[in-house]
Amino acid sequence: MGRRIIKLRVNGEDYELMIAPQRTLLEVLREDLELTGTKEGCEDGTCGACTVLLDGKPIRSCLLLAVEAEGKDILTIEGLAQGERLHPLQEAFISNGAIQCGFCTPGMILTAKALLDENPSPTEEEIREAICGVLCRCTGYVKIVEAIMAAPKERKWQNIL
Amino acid sequence: MRLPKFDYLKPRTVDEACSLLSEHKGEANVIAGSTALLTYIKHRLLTPKYVIGLKGIPGLDYINYDGKGGLKIGALTTLHALNTSPLIRERYHILSQAAAQVGVPPLRYMGTLGGNLCLDTRCLYYNQSYSWRRVRPLCFKAGGELCHVVRGGERCYAVYQGDLAPALIGLGAKVRLVRTSGERIIPLNEFFTGRGESPNILEPDEILTEVQIPPPPEQSCGAYHKLRIRRAMDFPLAGVAVVLAMDGKICREAKIILNAVSSAPFEVREAEEMLRGKRIGDGVIEEVAEEIFKRARPVANLSIDADYRRKMVRVLFKRAVKQALSAKS
Repeated sequence: MGRRIIKLRVNGEDYELMIAPQRTLLEVLREDLELTGTKEGCEDGTCGACTVLLDGKPIRSCLLLAVEAEGKDILTIEGLAQGERLHPLQEAFISNGAIQCGFCTPGMILTAKALLDENPSPTEEEIREAICGVLCRCTGYVKIVEAIMAAPKERKWQNIL
Repeated sequence: MRLPKFDYLKPRTVDEACSLLSEHKGEANVIAGSTALLTYIKHRLLTPKYVIGLKGIPGLDYINYDGKGGLKIGALTTLHALNTSPLIRERYHILSQAAAQVGVPPLRYMGTLGGNLCLDTRCLYYNQSYSWRRVRPLCFKAGGELCHVVRGGERCYAVYQGDLAPALIGLGAKVRLVRTSGERIIPLNEFFTGRGESPNILEPDEILTEVQIPPPPEQSCGAYHKLRIRRAMDFPLAGVAVVLAMDGKICREAKIILNAVSSAPFEVREAEEMLRGKRIGDGVIEEVAEEIFKRARPVANLSIDADYRRKMVRVLFKRAVKQALSAKS
């Protein structure tokens, strides 16, 4: 059987790709679509660097076969900013010093977006539970949690659906 | 870690899936949430020629309850759905609690009930990459003739580390297994073999499609506590499930299931006997904890000391039984 044509909807755009069945969604995003914002960390589902949103929910793209992502809405970190305008979460991460090396940041921000879309005013405990699936080796998480607490108060948040 | 080449098949019914498994016997594996199996293939612990995706099969994702028949849950129901179902939280709280302790949220969005029950047993010396393993002779689980953990051992000691099974066994669950020649319904505790090499009784062309749980008895309560170093993510290093049916302050029925200290979750019947008909005070709890401690025999094949895991079994039991009783009142 080998390669087959699949349709992926990524950041609101439809792509038709010729993909071998053993390719993961992570590989296809990075290599075929050149969306390298999603990172390759542990490759076995433990670190969270590969997190993307699938129909609004954070999942491990390193553990999802690309052929199984057909028919879903995929959101990567590249899908947050609108041209030059950053998403309020991205603004909050920058202004709160929540980024050091930046490797966990796409996974963290997308996980935070999924949380805030469902629960616009989470407690600190709820934030920590939501991000428990993404590891950060640099920051110690404090600034990340502060950024996520601060994000909903950014005025721009009201314009983002 | 790249996956090796394989063909991906997408059956539309359970029957089709079983036929494909039968047709490609020995060369095919099924994936549901795809969180466990792909890791095995990345490590080259499994190298199927065909991967059969079950996610596309409609009608296997449901949580149905009726007062007489009890609860029926489809095998493709996600762990997230189990954890957030108000019905399960209210009537079978231990199941909700167990599902909440599996992994992290993204793995709970992807992972399924069936997949968690059918988890393979694990061991420090088995769940490693191909390059790590190839410098050592094959162990029993990998098809060889020795155990790297228990020198001179004659069997595999790989550990069963699924979190849902102990809670479900405590609730008296049964599983429906389907293959091309028919189906069977088996009590969940008989689904597990106790053998590290092959932890469950699934035939090569058989699929677990449903879990059935009887209606909760009067005044029942339960709790599941697992040991892990972090507060999220990890497989249990030990686990205790306690399900009680009370008559006021007297224990009418008790189920105590020990997890992650052997190749299958198992009921500690001697400990259950000690609770039956008794008032559950501190003295009884201590005695039962000692009994469970005696029956737990972990070996050094997980990331922390077997001694510590064994001692923690006492603590996990005490936490579970106290939480179960306080929830009830």
